[in-house]
Amino acid sequence: MKIQKEALAGTLESSDLMVKVSPNSGIEIIVNSEVNKQFGAQIRSVVESTLAQLNVTDGLIVIDDKGALDCAIKARVQCAVLRGAEVEELDWSKLL
Amino acid sequence: MYSSLEYSVVDISKQQSVLESIERLLHLAGLELDPRLSVFVIAIVDSKIVACAGIDRDIIKCVAIDPDYRGNNINLGLLEYTIKYANEHGQFHLFLYTKPENKIFFRSCGFYPIVEVPDLVVLMENTPIGIKRYCQQLSLEKKPGNKIGSIVMNANPFTKGHQYLAETAAAECDWLHIFVVNEDASMFSFADRFELVKAGVSHLKNVSVHASSSYIISKATFPSYFLKEQAKIDKAYMGIDLLIFRNYIAPALNITCRFVGTEPTSEVTNAYNEAMAYWLQDSQVSSMPVIPLIVLERIKENNFAISASRVRALLENQCYDEIKALVPPTTWTYLQNKYM
Repeated sequence: MKIQKEALAGTLESSDLMVKVSPNSGIEIIVNSEVNKQFGAQIRSVVESTLAQLNVTDGLIVIDDKGALDCAIKARVQCAVLRGAEVEELDWSKLL
Repeated sequence: MYSSLEYSVVDISKQQSVLESIERLLHLAGLELDPRLSVFVIAIVDSKIVACAGIDRDIIKCVAIDPDYRGNNINLGLLEYTIKYANEHGQFHLFLYTKPENKIFFRSCGFYPIVEVPDLVVLMENTPIGIKRYCQQLSLEKKPGNKIGSIVMNANPFTKGHQYLAETAAAECDWLHIFVVNEDASMFSFADRFELVKAGVSHLKNVSVHASSSYIISKATFPSYFLKEQAKIDKAYMGIDLLIFRNYIAPALNITCRFVGTEPTSEVTNAYNEAMAYWLQDSQVSSMPVIPLIVLERIKENNFAISASRVRALLENQCYDEIKALVPPTTWTYLQNKYM
């Protein structure tokens, strides 16, 4: 799956995150977090595994995190990717 | 606290009462309404407008909140709403002007500083890699040499004056990069201006012609809203533009100097020339190397300095014969086909 167009998911509220995706060659992830020192690596690994589950091969993913839990990060990334990849039909098993 | 909070988008050119509320808010924040803005996102608490953010295409400015309502995360929601509004209108890469003291707040909204004019204004963008990536692209065009020149021109249209500037600069340098202002705000479209520049310098073998980007003299990037004096406004705007050039564009292409023609008529352009001398050559305003500015006297035709504005005026009055002496054959052919 490739990111075809720019898309956004999430909010700037505390305990949430905003995910911006845009077309790119290869995968590039940029994480910005208020808790980067403690959890930056963890956030990145959640993003990476979420992308892998969706078979995303190309896309620039920019995360502005406000201390979101892993489940929120996963859901927001899925949402932004599916919007940006213009997916019409969902394979629900990949979203688990 | 408050009982109801909602956000909405307004066009202030159609709603006088809203305009007055926004002016009051901006005044409280020490800002002034930018006359170019018409679309505002507003936050309404108990039917009172308590915060606003102006948006012009891809630029957010005039963001203000009523001091009585600070500390409630209203601004955060306002920014989020504004970002989403811009996205819905196809604008994903956003710029934002604010005072340096608000940098930290906007940083928490996903905006990253590009350049700052101390105490006056900071320009931010909503991606951590925007200008970095642009410079990476640009650096692919890098050419070897010790003296690499640059010219930024609107070329509206390309005249013998532009040609003289390019020829003289190219003769003095190992390579010359010309940037053509990429905005369709002039009499001639960008596509036409770009082609005319390329045609007009095609005989020079050490010249590249680039389309400028949002990062070089782009429209609407005029943070006049919070600066009361005209002189300060110009200083801030031009400082932003020139610092981007010095800190990012010049290093990407190893540019070592910038050429410009003297400006006998236009006050704005003359002020810009003076600003160049300061922002590119002052050793204090930037940590990047100084970029010497080389000012060339404009060439004259019948005692008149050749300028694009003169060509446009002659075109308007259909004085075609006089134009022929002012433009190179390539531009002349184009004008003939299009207007005569």
